[in-house]
Amino acid sequence: MANPYRTSKPEEEIADYTRERQRKRSMDAPFLILVLILMTVGLIMLLSASYARAYYEGNSPISIFIRQLFFAAVGLVLMMLLSRMPLSIYKKWSMRVLLIAVALMLLVPIIGTRANGAKRWINLGLFTIQPSEIAKISVIMAFSAMICKYRDKMKTWRYGVMPFAGILIAFAGLLALEPHLSATIIIVLLGAALMFLGGSPLSAFVLGGGGLAGLIFLYTKFSYASDRIEAWRNPMTHESDTAYQIKQSLYSIGSGGLSGVGFGESRQKYMFLPEEHNDFIFSIVCEELGYIGAVTILILFALLIIRGFWLATKCPDRYAFLLCCGVSTLLSIQVVLNVSVVTNLIPCTGVSLPFFSYGGTALMLQLAEMGIVLSCSRTIPDKKKLMTAQNLQI
Amino acid sequence: MSSNQNGRRSVKGPTEQMKRRTLLLMAVCGIVAFIVLAFQLFKIQIIEHDRYEADALSQQIGTTSSIAERGTIYDTNMKALAMSSEVYTVFIDPKAITERNEDINLIADELNDLLHVDRAEVISKMDNKDSQYAVVARKVDPDIVEKIKSFKEINNITTVHFEKDYKRYYPYGSLACHVVGFTGSDGTGLQGVEYEYNSVLSGAEGRKVQAQTANGKPLMFTDYEDTYTVQNGLNVVTTIDSTIQYYLEKRLQEAVEKYDIQNGAGAIVMNVKTGAILGMASLGNFDLNDYLAVDEETQKKADEASDKESDEIMSEARSLMWRNKCISDTYEPGSTFKILTLAMALQEGLAPEESDNYFCEGSVQVEGDTVARHCWDVSGHGEQTLTQAVQHSCNVAFVNIGQKIGAERFYKYCDAFGLLNITADEEESLTGLTGVDLPGEARSIWWSENVFYNPEVRSQLAAASFGQTFNVTPLQMVTAVSACVNGGYLMEPYVVRELVDDNGDSVYTHDSTPVRQVISEETSDKICEILEKVVNDPVDGTGKNAYVAGYRIGGKTGTSEKVSKLADTGEKEYIVSFMGIAPADEPEIAILAFLDTPKDDGENYISGGQMGAPTVGAMLSDILPYIGVEAHYSEEEILNRDRGVPDVLEKKISDAAKAIEDSGMRYRVIGDGDKVTKQLPAAHSVIAAGSEVILYADEEPSNNKETMIDLIDYDYVTAREKLSQLGIFISTSSPVSSPDTQLITSQSIAEGEQVEHGTIINVTLRTSGGGSMIGRY
Repeated sequence: MANPYRTSKPEEEIADYTRERQRKRSMDAPFLILVLILMTVGLIMLLSASYARAYYEGNSPISIFIRQLFFAAVGLVLMMLLSRMPLSIYKKWSMRVLLIAVALMLLVPIIGTRANGAKRWINLGLFTIQPSEIAKISVIMAFSAMICKYRDKMKTWRYGVMPFAGILIAFAGLLALEPHLSATIIIVLLGAALMFLGGSPLSAFVLGGGGLAGLIFLYTKFSYASDRIEAWRNPMTHESDTAYQIKQSLYSIGSGGLSGVGFGESRQKYMFLPEEHNDFIFSIVCEELGYIGAVTILILFALLIIRGFWLATKCPDRYAFLLCCGVSTLLSIQVVLNVSVVTNLIPCTGVSLPFFSYGGTALMLQLAEMGIVLSCSRTIPDKKKLMTAQNLQI
Repeated sequence: MSSNQNGRRSVKGPTEQMKRRTLLLMAVCGIVAFIVLAFQLFKIQIIEHDRYEADALSQQIGTTSSIAERGTIYDTNMKALAMSSEVYTVFIDPKAITERNEDINLIADELNDLLHVDRAEVISKMDNKDSQYAVVARKVDPDIVEKIKSFKEINNITTVHFEKDYKRYYPYGSLACHVVGFTGSDGTGLQGVEYEYNSVLSGAEGRKVQAQTANGKPLMFTDYEDTYTVQNGLNVVTTIDSTIQYYLEKRLQEAVEKYDIQNGAGAIVMNVKTGAILGMASLGNFDLNDYLAVDEETQKKADEASDKESDEIMSEARSLMWRNKCISDTYEPGSTFKILTLAMALQEGLAPEESDNYFCEGSVQVEGDTVARHCWDVSGHGEQTLTQAVQHSCNVAFVNIGQKIGAERFYKYCDAFGLLNITADEEESLTGLTGVDLPGEARSIWWSENVFYNPEVRSQLAAASFGQTFNVTPLQMVTAVSACVNGGYLMEPYVVRELVDDNGDSVYTHDSTPVRQVISEETSDKICEILEKVVNDPVDGTGKNAYVAGYRIGGKTGTSEKVSKLADTGEKEYIVSFMGIAPADEPEIAILAFLDTPKDDGENYISGGQMGAPTVGAMLSDILPYIGVEAHYSEEEILNRDRGVPDVLEKKISDAAKAIEDSGMRYRVIGDGDKVTKQLPAAHSVIAAGSEVILYADEEPSNNKETMIDLIDYDYVTAREKLSQLGIFISTSSPVSSPDTQLITSQSIAEGEQVEHGTIINVTLRTSGGGSMIGRY
């Protein structure tokens, strides 16, 4: 077809151009912007939530914020690096990361450090890492790779259930040693979600769900857990640290009202609310920014998650699709569980709020996960460019 | 290429099932879960907002208060009668002691040493490790706090703290104790002005309401703060003059001792023109700085008794001691009330100076009375003028005057004088109050109108005419009498004339507007005239013992039987009193002294004239010069009154002799020198007129001592001469009108004591005039 406006190019040239375009294909801007907004808001709120305690404990009021800012910077660099990494590298490392995670998890009982009655951390001198955080990424990467590998065999129990369940049970076992209930829940839910997407037989979920329900029932019989159940039911009257924490959290959130007491004006952060810059930072957000602010932040999270899933469906590669879904699901589980805990929707368990809670390694890993999604987003062919390329061929 | 690429994508991309499941997962993770969260937040933040906010605020808000300084109570000359001094509450922070690991024993020893608190108790307070506030001692003086502060510094102790507080202090101790009152340990006024004006004295506590951390520290930045500044109490300026009060109490105390008063005594001085109470004393009194302490005897009794009895004894003794007899006790005023009967009769024109009505044959029985009313002089006063009837305090004459006035009129006058309070509702108690600004004013006790007006029961009016069968408070009497002598105006008595704030600005000033005019100015003048004759007539005046040389004093005696006591126990007990006014020509003050139950030991005749009048006389001799009433002595008084010895040392004998004679004294010279080398008594000593001063000319008085002789019942002149022989001199604080007839009733140096030459003995003299005036008037 003759087109007077185009300069005819040889086929090789077209192919080169397409490859070139693909390499330079930009990452998804809305997703990146949402991440940056949430991270910025999170950092600012961390400053607000943390300065009081830092000050009254004799430290610089901004000491916690500065430390987090450093990790945020490192995390951003990591995110950008990972976003430029081709998919093939991820694929190659999928199972290795799983092995590293398992190895680290095995190390925890040996060289881990103990805090608040649980051994969950490995001290690396400058900072500590939580192997369970790495385990979460490893599950996403490994499961995605496995799903791609097994393809149609996912429908079978042998391939579609057993290996996955095996890995999950192994992690669950290792986490139970620490103990780390919240991480167990997150990893199991995350794994189940990926299996669900991968096409595992639904009967497995029915069975697994039933088994879990039974386990939970048994678990609540332990005093460690039943105490939490009691605190959950009667946060105002139950006499325990957990109930106190929930009560203070509800005071914070309730005090916020529609429009909040104003940024920086929280009074609950003055040592009334424990963990105000960690797991319970969202309570301070609710107090200071009110219902309007809290819901806005939830909407930002929801948009990020939806954008992650949407990007997934656009990915030309199944592995990339699964990675995006996995990361989005993980993000959703963390946010929903965290907010559910601070609002006393579910019994108290220690889940941090991504981008908000204090914790350098967690923030770095979260940004790394975002980097993975951004990397995947590069594989999505730009429709316009693709059309042009196709037109070129035609 | 195209088909190849498409095919590859369809193999490598998500399957349709995956896409469907992704949508489902996305819906759950990205939408449904968040809607649930939004609902939960809505419930907490919007629906339950108020509840959580209130609960949160209650834990976030801390109140720090600062105590207001209680106002000072001043006397009328701005001398502080009650003041607050800064003290401290010492407390420890047991939590911090544990956290900072401070030396418990060191702290406990030091506090034990400085504050005298039990060491073990301090240690046990430190054991309460959750507490941050454990009081160790209250009302600690600043100098001790300074010592603790330096101890803290030296030993690096940080956990002992201080809190400002105030302690009440009464510089004059027991002076005017019933009027000033006292505060309890919590600083609330419990008696007197301290109680009555508690709300203005106490001021308003300052409060700072602010958001605080869970550890009670102020927030770093917050404008959530509400401050209510401390408002110190107002200063109360009373009408009490501490000098007058001192004289009152001193003279009253002397009387109590002299007449062996069994049941306490009281005295009131009132400014008749304003109703201001210049002095109000009630005995026995107590030290305001130690208001719980009872007298030794009671304390001993309480110590010996069982616990329960002991408590009873103590509380009974205290309530008796704290009782302001001037306003809280009622009594039958007796003859002092005749002033009011006189006022009614004069005002109504029912008491001409001369009338048969005043004829006294010793007793009278009016129509309808069950008993004859006796005069104190059972032989009767015979024919007398109105003035004489008052001078004699003749009951018979006053019964007759009362009959003329009539029950109804009498009653209404009593109402007008504020002694009772006639109300429309007859059933209501007919009792009066002066409305004085002091707590615990008792109401008077009267017959009801029905009974009093009943023509068939006339006994009430007959007895009421001379002040029996009803009860009023001493203050009511003073107030009513003031109205009789100040031109007829009933004033409301008061003790607080002004409230002043910290800057010295007046917040309130008492308004001395008369309640009403009861009698005319003419009547009032007439009353003053007659009352003066009760005192200044050495022959007929039953109140002559109240006379003070140089001053015009009026008054009326009173001896009232405690009728109810008689009915109860059969014992005859009396309250003797004297109501004085001065100066009689233009009264400024009214003064009442009453002595409850003098001991009947036969030595002193129990009557207002014998006990009340001299007491008031003594008080007035102090008060009148103090308040600046000028003395005008009669010629006789100038002639007879004690005088100062001139300074004649080193003078020629002849000059000295002249100087002494010019002073109305005599002299004798010992020695042959021509100059006075020594004189007895010393220059400026005050001694009796006509005394013989001893002048030594080159001689020395002998060092021999002389034995004091008994002077009782000698007249003043004889005593002077007897002592002169011994080289002793005499003086008196009693008025001297006729020194050769006035008998000595007491002497300051007892018989038998050894005294040096030149000593001056002080004696009291019976007023001149007929010794026949023995009676209960």
